[in-house]
Amino acid sequence: MYLNTVAKYIRRSPYQAFSAALIMSLTFFSISVFALLTIISVRFISYFESRPQLTIFFKDNASREDIGQVQKQLEDTGKTSLMVYVSKEEALKIYKEQNKNDPILLDLVTADILPASIEVQAKEARYLSDLAGIVKGSELVEEVIFQKDIVDTLISWTNAVRYVGLAVIAILVTVSVMVIITIIGIKITVRREEIEIMKLIGASNWFIRAPFLLEGIFYGFTGAFIGGGLAIGLFYYFSPSLEAFLRGVAIFPLSPVIMLELLLVEVIIACILGTFASYLAVLRYLK
Amino acid sequence: MLHVNLVMIEFKNVSKKFGGTNSVLDNISFLIEKGSFVYLVGPTGSGKTTIFRLIIRDLFPTEGSITLDQWDLFTLPKSKIPHLRRKVGVVFQDLKLLLDRTVIENVMLPLQFSGVKDEEARRRAEEIIIDVGLAEKLNKFPLQLSGGEKQRVAMARALVFNPEIILADEPTGNLDIQTSFQILDLLKSINKRGATVFMATHNEKLIDSGGDRIIIVERGRIVEDKKARQKSARADHETGKKAKDEKEELKKDKIKLESLVEEKGKNVS
Repeated sequence: MYLNTVAKYIRRSPYQAFSAALIMSLTFFSISVFALLTIISVRFISYFESRPQLTIFFKDNASREDIGQVQKQLEDTGKTSLMVYVSKEEALKIYKEQNKNDPILLDLVTADILPASIEVQAKEARYLSDLAGIVKGSELVEEVIFQKDIVDTLISWTNAVRYVGLAVIAILVTVSVMVIITIIGIKITVRREEIEIMKLIGASNWFIRAPFLLEGIFYGFTGAFIGGGLAIGLFYYFSPSLEAFLRGVAIFPLSPVIMLELLLVEVIIACILGTFASYLAVLRYLK
Repeated sequence: MLHVNLVMIEFKNVSKKFGGTNSVLDNISFLIEKGSFVYLVGPTGSGKTTIFRLIIRDLFPTEGSITLDQWDLFTLPKSKIPHLRRKVGVVFQDLKLLLDRTVIENVMLPLQFSGVKDEEARRRAEEIIIDVGLAEKLNKFPLQLSGGEKQRVAMARALVFNPEIILADEPTGNLDIQTSFQILDLLKSINKRGATVFMATHNEKLIDSGGDRIIIVERGRIVEDKKARQKSARADHETGKKAKDEKEELKKDKIKLESLVEEKGKNVS
């Protein structure tokens, strides 16, 4: 009975319904995009966090023995938990694996131009700078890379994206709520006489309010479904390109279950948002 | 003094003022027994509609108390107002039909408000629409109906849930006398089934056709409360119809006579 009434209300003002669904779709498209970016950035960061915390690259003139001495020096501090030596040949092997689809790059690189390195995991993060300090002064060392620096940079970037995203989402959510309040408000005003009549012949407040609340839920549901679905669809469509761009970083594949969960959560949030907006309209216009 | 269980409506010293000063009802008191048929008579602006609006708590009295079948309307909480209104079948002066709903959808409404399932509501609405003689108009919209048909729809909507009391505010206003009597007959048959009927009208022919009581209001005061003249509405309706038929016959005879005279005149010349 209520659903028929809702369908009738929507049929009678299709442009208003379209506007409400459109703004909700836009909102939930943005929410989905930022949610996916967050998922990617979390994976991206955890990938770098799981990498060795300190990578020491050696100059070409450093022999295996020299590197072994440096390794021992670091080990003697008792601050390392793991150390892996990567020879020039192994570096080439890794490089070949990463660029197996790009024969031009493979042709240009030989083991000679790749440096040997040791990857160090510290027992505690605070030991990293001590360990780096030991090797930095050495003539054999070309470069010392802290993964922490990379992770910190990534975190600050993703945080910036997240803040911008949150601000955009907050604005879009506010606009969506305002649009739904306005549209439901207009509908209530247009139907004021009908509502008065219904009240006079015994309609309860709930009977009168329910179709408007359901209409709000409908806009939320439609918006989340279209917006979320579109964002997820586009994400899958562009996944191969993204994967190629972020080669070597283990982000993909993202499980369809995660996507479905994301869509489900968005639909629930959207329905709550739609109910909230239409409830505000009902409170404001149906005293 | 009537036993409280026999009283359907009681107004005790009720006054209603709008805007603090404009007095529409001034200290009126009356009592309507269950199962009775009472006319509320008075000129436009005398307070008839205000009395009905007070009974369904569309208005709140400035002073006094109103009881409807032991419900004290003064203390009735807002949340109970829909329940009260589902107890009273109201035929509004301006009908208050929903123009974007068909006849059957309009009539189903009070049942839907009471939580009756759609199928059952449709069945009961169809029955009452057939009873009021609109079987062919089930799926028409109010704007596709004549004045009398709209009135019947309003009546059907008021009767569909078998209310114990019917408030009819000028239910025959703007209708021809024949249709007015049909509406009145309908109300009387409902009254015979036990429902209390409280009907506002200024049509004296209807009042003369029977009922239990007449309450006359003028300028917000009850000026007379008397027993109605007992006479069947049908009898009056038939008398009216007979008179109309006779008038038609006379008119035909007159035309016949005139044409004869004219023909004779032509022959003489």
